[in-house]
Amino acid sequence: MDKGLLAYLLIPLLSAVIIPFAARNRPRLADILANVTLLAGLVNIAWMVLRPSVVADGFADIPGDMLFPLLLVGAIYLVALCVTFFSAWFMEEGQPNRAAYYSLILASVSAMTGVVTTTDFFTLYVFIEVLAVTSFALITTDDSRGGIEGALKYFFLTFPASALIIAGISILLIVLGDLQFETLRIFMASDVPPGPAVFAAALIMLGFLIKAGVVPFHAWTPDAYQGAYAPVSAHLAGIVTKISGVYAIVKLGTLLRFFDGRASALSEMVMFLGLLSIAVGALAALRQKDFKRMLAFSSISQVGYIVLAAGLGTPLAVIGAVFHLFNHATFKTVLFLNSASVEKSAGTTDMEKLGGLEHSMPWTSWTSVIALLSTAGVPPLSGFWSKLLIILALWEAGLRGYAGLALLFSIVTLAYFMVMQRKIFFGRKSQAAESAPEVSAPLLAPAVLMSAVIVALGLLFPYFYTYVKMVAERIIL
Amino acid sequence: MSIFAMDWYLIALLMFIGFYCMLASRSIVRQLIGLEIVSKAAMLTVISAGALTANLVMAQALLITMIVIEVVVVAAGLALLVKAFRVNGNADIWKLDGLKG
Repeated sequence: MDKGLLAYLLIPLLSAVIIPFAARNRPRLADILANVTLLAGLVNIAWMVLRPSVVADGFADIPGDMLFPLLLVGAIYLVALCVTFFSAWFMEEGQPNRAAYYSLILASVSAMTGVVTTTDFFTLYVFIEVLAVTSFALITTDDSRGGIEGALKYFFLTFPASALIIAGISILLIVLGDLQFETLRIFMASDVPPGPAVFAAALIMLGFLIKAGVVPFHAWTPDAYQGAYAPVSAHLAGIVTKISGVYAIVKLGTLLRFFDGRASALSEMVMFLGLLSIAVGALAALRQKDFKRMLAFSSISQVGYIVLAAGLGTPLAVIGAVFHLFNHATFKTVLFLNSASVEKSAGTTDMEKLGGLEHSMPWTSWTSVIALLSTAGVPPLSGFWSKLLIILALWEAGLRGYAGLALLFSIVTLAYFMVMQRKIFFGRKSQAAESAPEVSAPLLAPAVLMSAVIVALGLLFPYFYTYVKMVAERIIL
Repeated sequence: MSIFAMDWYLIALLMFIGFYCMLASRSIVRQLIGLEIVSKAAMLTVISAGALTANLVMAQALLITMIVIEVVVVAAGLALLVKAFRVNGNADIWKLDGLKG
């Protein structure tokens, strides 16, 4: 555990404990406490990483292995702040229980911070389980039928994944003698035949692939995202499953040194599953009728890009993976929060019943356009750069087929998002859209903020690139 | 046959029993019991690994933490099962098909 970052874990946990007591008679206090906690954390991180003197001397006074956790902790706080701010205005009076809801969100933020700052496999497992428990509870926030069903499916698939991770951890214990990340990295860099360690890592990797919802194991993802309480979908899709699954895959990929080919079988397997989920996610998204379900399949497809890059494991690919992880958090949060706005305003997320919302909900419509263009990788926006890095890395490694297919499915992404945009926001006004006013300004603020981040990252990419490059170099070497 | 090989033979058997229990039953309660068996098999691997590497103290520490986590996860899971039973009126896993597409 990195002690410098422990405060980001403990302060949300403390707030999570205080909220049920402090807000028992004043439900609004829960909103304020949760938002203030997350905002304070975010401001603190921004000050640590982005203040001019630190940027000027190339992040020299931030210790080597803290940059990657800091970037991810920043993403976690940013998404969670958007979600709590949105929910504060989204919830109706009394329903659901505010204190419990915010406690769970803060506990999950704290668990995610634990996941990204830990330096050994056992602590990783502990925090992943904490995160899973808070997710079950969050998905069923509004006690709807769909939410319970989604949570049950999530439960029945993540539980065996945890068993696989435990089995992998114990084999690693036999091979290495301890569970530090560093030990595995040194072992992989030495000349000892890596067979058993790679087998153990493959078991752990399999567990995390299930938790990330990569294609053969994606059965729970659309159901959990579609059934969950609307702001919780944004929290889950934006950050929770990315941290609990995809982060660990990227981390394991760098620890196993995929780039020098000592674990090439596992690396190829991971890359193949990544490409498979890009393809299946994009093709399944084309034929969805429900807004949130389409976004869920799109999320599977985008996770595929990150897994593909993590499986390749060259420095350029890891830069792409880290950057796409961050971008995915921004654009998917915008899209899911907008789907929640549409649900609140028009009363449904069924795309057949929606249409022509552009006139009555211009802000929601245009922030969606920015986010979906970024997802599809249209040039000036942030998603373009991360996909470009991933495809360039594949091309450089001589995997032209993979690069071509990744590019092709990027175009399919654009196709299904255009279908979605036309059915929901453009075109003729439907019956449901007639009586759908624009949601209030506080509900729009998170989406607008995230859209601004997307545009800013895209336009200021050369500056950001040096930062992400440094992150990737430090986690690989 | 060494004790270690015996351990892992037993673990594999237990894991298979657990997965079979999950595959063969329709009731969500039995599915949970199957999962429990799988996860108990996984926990036995930790003790076996600790015994093999003469590192039982560490293995015990890990295992006790794992048991605590397991309790929390199972409690959350059982709460979900009860909620699902109250909403749907049955405990059949194949009837959980409200969401599809």
